[in-house]
Amino acid sequence: MKRVGTFNRVAEMKRLISHSPSLADSFRLLNSQRIKSRWSFKIAAALLLPWLLLGSAFAQEQPSAEEAVQTYKKMSLTELMDLDVTSVAKQPEPYGQAPAAIQVITSEDIARSGASSLPEAMRLADNLEVAQKNSHDWAISARGFNTALGNKLLVLMDGRSVYTPLFSGVFWDVQDYLLQDIDRIEVISGPGGTLWGANAVNGVINITTKSAKDTQGLYVEGGGGSQLQYFGGARYGGTLASNVYYRVYGKYFQRDNEVFGDGKDAPDSWNMGRGGFRIDAEPSLQNTFTLQGDYYAGHEGVVTGGRANVSGGDLLGRWSHTFSESSDMSLQMYYDRTHLVDPIPASVAGTITLAPAGTLTDDLDTFDIDFQHHLHLGDWNNIVWGLGYRFTHEVDDNAPALAFLPPTLDHNLYSAFLQDEITLRENLFLTLGTKIEHNDYTGVEVEPSARLQWNVTPKQMLWGAVSRAVRTPSRIDRDLSQPGPSSLLVLLQGGQNFESETVIAYELGYRAQPTAKLQTSLSAFYNDYDHVRSTTTNSTLDSFGLPFPFFFQNNLEGHTYGFELSANYQLLDWWRLHGGYDLLKEDIRVKPGKFDINDALNETADPQQQFSIRSSMDLPKNIQFDATLRWVDELQNNNGATVGTVPSYFELDARLAWRPIKSLELSVVGQNLLHDHHPEYGFPGPTRVEISRGVYGKVSWEF
Amino acid sequence: MGVLSAPACRRLWPRTLAGSRMGCGVRRCLVVAIGLCVFLFLCVPSSLRAESKEYQVKAVFLYNFAQFVLWPATAFTNASEPFQIGVLGNSPFDKALEETVRGETIQGRQIVVVHASHVEKVAGCQVLFVCKSEAGHLNQVFQKLDSKPVLTVSEDASFIQHGGIINFYREGPKVRFEINPDAADKNGLKLGSQLLSVGKIVHSEGAR
Repeated sequence: MKRVGTFNRVAEMKRLISHSPSLADSFRLLNSQRIKSRWSFKIAAALLLPWLLLGSAFAQEQPSAEEAVQTYKKMSLTELMDLDVTSVAKQPEPYGQAPAAIQVITSEDIARSGASSLPEAMRLADNLEVAQKNSHDWAISARGFNTALGNKLLVLMDGRSVYTPLFSGVFWDVQDYLLQDIDRIEVISGPGGTLWGANAVNGVINITTKSAKDTQGLYVEGGGGSQLQYFGGARYGGTLASNVYYRVYGKYFQRDNEVFGDGKDAPDSWNMGRGGFRIDAEPSLQNTFTLQGDYYAGHEGVVTGGRANVSGGDLLGRWSHTFSESSDMSLQMYYDRTHLVDPIPASVAGTITLAPAGTLTDDLDTFDIDFQHHLHLGDWNNIVWGLGYRFTHEVDDNAPALAFLPPTLDHNLYSAFLQDEITLRENLFLTLGTKIEHNDYTGVEVEPSARLQWNVTPKQMLWGAVSRAVRTPSRIDRDLSQPGPSSLLVLLQGGQNFESETVIAYELGYRAQPTAKLQTSLSAFYNDYDHVRSTTTNSTLDSFGLPFPFFFQNNLEGHTYGFELSANYQLLDWWRLHGGYDLLKEDIRVKPGKFDINDALNETADPQQQFSIRSSMDLPKNIQFDATLRWVDELQNNNGATVGTVPSYFELDARLAWRPIKSLELSVVGQNLLHDHHPEYGFPGPTRVEISRGVYGKVSWEF
Repeated sequence: MGVLSAPACRRLWPRTLAGSRMGCGVRRCLVVAIGLCVFLFLCVPSSLRAESKEYQVKAVFLYNFAQFVLWPATAFTNASEPFQIGVLGNSPFDKALEETVRGETIQGRQIVVVHASHVEKVAGCQVLFVCKSEAGHLNQVFQKLDSKPVLTVSEDASFIQHGGIINFYREGPKVRFEINPDAADKNGLKLGSQLLSVGKIVHSEGAR
């Protein structure tokens, strides 16, 4: 039980706001930038002011205890036991007590958004940048650096890390689940290295599925439409023994092609099937066990030709034990496997084919074990410490035009962390901690942080933090060869001395619940980056008199700053509004005296601003109507040192749902309704994929 | 770095390879490459959680418990004595308990809530909620109660082992309770089937 409680705290630790938009580098047109900045600050001010004023108007509005208990008194014991006591209203306490920029996406949020896959659901987090690149690829980041190979976000699913060491990023196409059975998604913007380790540089996404205990019975869904052509999913949950619960699930979908800018089909349709199980056992109050596993396989059309095959699976076990009220531990182990077969086009320079087209096959096996212990020491120390070990075994069958050398790589990652939350005063908490890791590329990495939390009143919290985080090298940074070594000329290589990118992040946040109906949150940050990836060359020319190969170094530095604002407002009993706004300024530059072929453009591709407004209505006759309007500022994708622009855009998603009886729901969902198609990402050109309007219908039945 | 000026490089850089991030479809965008699980335990201050709802619910539980338990006649000194719910230690209820019982009766008796920091003051109560603050000296508490007809309730993992009757625990976001019929017997209380059917039955000796 305690274990679960701890998870809840984690849950609380996770919610707030954030985001990132654009870079103010010296290569942009000064004028347009000035105009833009002025405008952006006006928007910022307009959004901020009323919000700050609210802060001063803090009425001590207590939710009426009398009303509450009268309601509870009408309930049976069983009904009382069914109440979620951690939530104040419908929302699970949207602005909890964690001193970090955290946002929580609830199961209900996901259902009401009409999202059909996990990456689509990420749009619900105000503190994420989400851009759909084509039918199956997504760029998702927090606080900037949302490049095609974005590498500053750590993503965990039920405690299992899903970023790939290939490029330290996430293949979002293969991250999915039966959404009905997801409990919540916690999105933290800002560094989380102290607890989560390397690569939690700009944020952490923590996806938690429901306990098998909470998914008992049969659930079936299915439907289809224009982009999401057809889909189906099912889950069955039951008991194996007293206090031992299980579920099995499956899901399949087929998505249509998106289009190119001229409206012609891009050959990127795809399908994906997955299935899995979860068993939760609670033999006693002191012990809980979880065993879960998944398998998926899919086929994806690739715009440059051919089809990619992806598949993978995982098996995870966890034991949580409570020693006493003030001490508990957990031990977790998992095995994860991913398999990727990707067509790689020929490498062509002018009219010369350097390497023919081929196929890259990548197989990654990961074994991971983690131990954590949490204890109270005295009245004011709340300590958590842990140890971890991860072994990865990666085998690449290289393509002529793209290779990783050595093709087989075994890596070990050792880690230990310690964090203490010290109660300085009744309402003042100082959290100090650090993680120490050892990886086979760069050796020891240290990621300390300090956080201060001040509960100004029971409904207002101020927090601040200083943290260091690192992005350790990935295979691309060290082992890439493009094209492969057997070609005439290698253009680009990993850098033998590529080191970790670092950030020192300064954060300041304020969260408040001025009335029972309004929750607001503001997080501001200033991030100081060093050793950021650059592409450079030796000063000697090769035998053709050319500067090849280029290779990766750490010649960039710079800073970003901005803020993330979000608010939830229960306008009426049946109408809730949610708004989010992010501002991001980026200044990433080449270090003095150093060189980058991409003029420091290649590590960022971010909108300077974005906002969204979400409306959720419960209408009579069991009808729900939800709509989300989002605006994303223009962003710049580069091609070498050439800047290309994705124009700013508005888009609208909407969902209408009706429950004729309690167990049956019929819904219609429209996605990206405002345009026939619009680009969200990519350098302009005939092969840039644009995202089409989509509409689908869905039937779901819970027995 | 050295010999090459940036513009020269740019000219040399074949367009298909150059960008590190053309919007390449290749999923793995590797072509254009440039380009721990630790798990999740954060220790987040638990101190300031919005606990009010939890304790409003627990207050209503206490009131319900009282309706599903039969006290022996010895539990009251006379017919007009009110039904007393005691709270021992630092009360987490705020006003919720008072709100819950206001205007209500149990077995025809008015209900009063008594707060105390010493067990002697509440030993005559019919229901006694032992707050977390007392966790360190449960032995003394039970010594003083000495099997009096008191329905003891708390929210401490070791409460039942010390001889308590009902203990709240949390299962995720939900409130659950475990119940020890042996201890109730010992105190001369009869537990209703409603309680026994929804509570988790545990026994003081060697059970868990």
